[in-house]
Amino acid sequence: MARGGAVREGPRRVVGQRALTPYLFMLPGLALFAAMFAWPAFISLQMSVSSYRIVTPVTFVGLRNFLQLANDPQFHHAVTNTFIFMGLFLPWAVVLPLLLALLVNRRLPGIHAFRVAYYLPVVTSMVAVAVAWRYLLSREGVLNWLLSLVGLGPIDFLLDTGWALPALATVEGWKSMGLFMIIYLAGLQGVPKEQLEAATMDGANAVRRLWHVTLPALLPYISVTLTLGMLEATRSFESIYVLTRGGPEDSTLTLGYYIWSTAFERYEIGYASAAGLVLWALMILLAMLNQRLTRQQGV
Amino acid sequence: MRIAKRVGTYALLVVVAAAFIGPFLLLLSTALKPGSQSVFSFPPDLIPRPPVVDWFIEAWTTIPYGKFVLNSLFYVGVMVPLYLVVSAMTAYPLARIAFRGRQVFFLLFLSTMFLPGELMLIPRFLVMRELGLIDTYAAVILPGILSALGIFMLRQTFATIPEAIIEAARVDGASEWRIFLSIALPLARPTLAVLTILGFISVWNSFLWPLVALTDQSKFPLALGIAYLSGVSGADVRGLAAGTVLSLIPVVAVFLFLQRHILSSMAGAIKG
Repeated sequence: MARGGAVREGPRRVVGQRALTPYLFMLPGLALFAAMFAWPAFISLQMSVSSYRIVTPVTFVGLRNFLQLANDPQFHHAVTNTFIFMGLFLPWAVVLPLLLALLVNRRLPGIHAFRVAYYLPVVTSMVAVAVAWRYLLSREGVLNWLLSLVGLGPIDFLLDTGWALPALATVEGWKSMGLFMIIYLAGLQGVPKEQLEAATMDGANAVRRLWHVTLPALLPYISVTLTLGMLEATRSFESIYVLTRGGPEDSTLTLGYYIWSTAFERYEIGYASAAGLVLWALMILLAMLNQRLTRQQGV
Repeated sequence: MRIAKRVGTYALLVVVAAAFIGPFLLLLSTALKPGSQSVFSFPPDLIPRPPVVDWFIEAWTTIPYGKFVLNSLFYVGVMVPLYLVVSAMTAYPLARIAFRGRQVFFLLFLSTMFLPGELMLIPRFLVMRELGLIDTYAAVILPGILSALGIFMLRQTFATIPEAIIEAARVDGASEWRIFLSIALPLARPTLAVLTILGFISVWNSFLWPLVALTDQSKFPLALGIAYLSGVSGADVRGLAAGTVLSLIPVVAVFLFLQRHILSSMAGAIKG
């Protein structure tokens, strides 16, 4: 039937309909892309050069927001904190998950259950994780009790300006370690077994095999965890929202939290958008830098 | 010697596992403690004596907990199917139909990965205001439907369907819609299952965007409700723990039930 009809109307029309088909398939996706990504991205650029506080009209201010950011000590503080947080978080994303993966990458009865246990925090909400860790980190919490056993503490992890940021990095790192472990586990499948065996025959110990065979084979995966870890660190928000609200004394004020509170607590939408663009540029820069680094190492 | 080594390995595995499960067990123990037993004592007193369920009831009654649960179920029920449909429809032509600009469209959708939700908070809030959708269910739902991961994974899956099957259907006169519905989608069932689970987990845990998009408490998803509970002055620490434990049950249950698929699909997604 359909083919008969098509023949009568001539082949041209069939081609026309067919040519439209892929776009019809993509129509919902394209509409959502336009409304939820392209339009907001455009607005983001527009707001960053505007003054807008919800109650006032949008007025063009050129680069004033950016100049103001350059002289805003709180913003400087947020940028510094973001980098410190990243430095504290990266070992949890790059180094510790590798050790974890090496630990569970063996054929032992029940090993799968351990992988499941290590992955569990990844599927739970950050809010729930933060609530759980609030009990651990309190002055009378289990962590301080463990410290007291070795004659240390007590430390008010979340109330001490020196400890709050490392404590948050630990919570975030603990939550996402399982994900990075899975990335390494996938990578470990590709480590050439023959080379490991040959190295063993040559009398190389476990550390030398790790350094000369396993790590080189894992380099692309290390690049992935490094990139994802950096992005994850720049995005941290929920743990801060639940545990410290940027305090004490702005010691856990990171860029993400700064942007949120500037926009939705102080309603300085334009100014916060400019800060958002800075964060955006930072994320792209880090991703590019990381690519460079791994390229240079011949990956 | 070999046995000693094996025992050592297991001991290490168990200690590390305790570090990952411990905080959740601590939460559970806090939620089960009777009011007469101190939550913060030194040294910690971890066994509830006797365990009581009062705080679960309290968590359920002091805040509209049931409403939050229903909201979360509603968000999952609407967002996950829409996410699957839109991802599959977008991925199919990108994988199987030759058309002008296919690569450009693919890169366009992939680029959404570089626009993380955290950065889109403010502009999306403004778009939603423009559309008059702030503080509606739609404001929570719309931004969560399109995701690069879903499109990417389904495109990979559709691309592996043997050309002969699709070509045979085309020769028989089947339209692309017909091929999509009766050949491509059924063959992509395993990928759709994985995306369902990942979608469920991510919607159930969603917090930041609803925090911005909603002011009306009665539309809060559960994770946001928990954060709200933690901010309610005078909320008992046991009640907060109980509420949090309840919020964990569905995701943890789904995860434990399907962990093999989740872990292997994560590994597969990373390898591409």
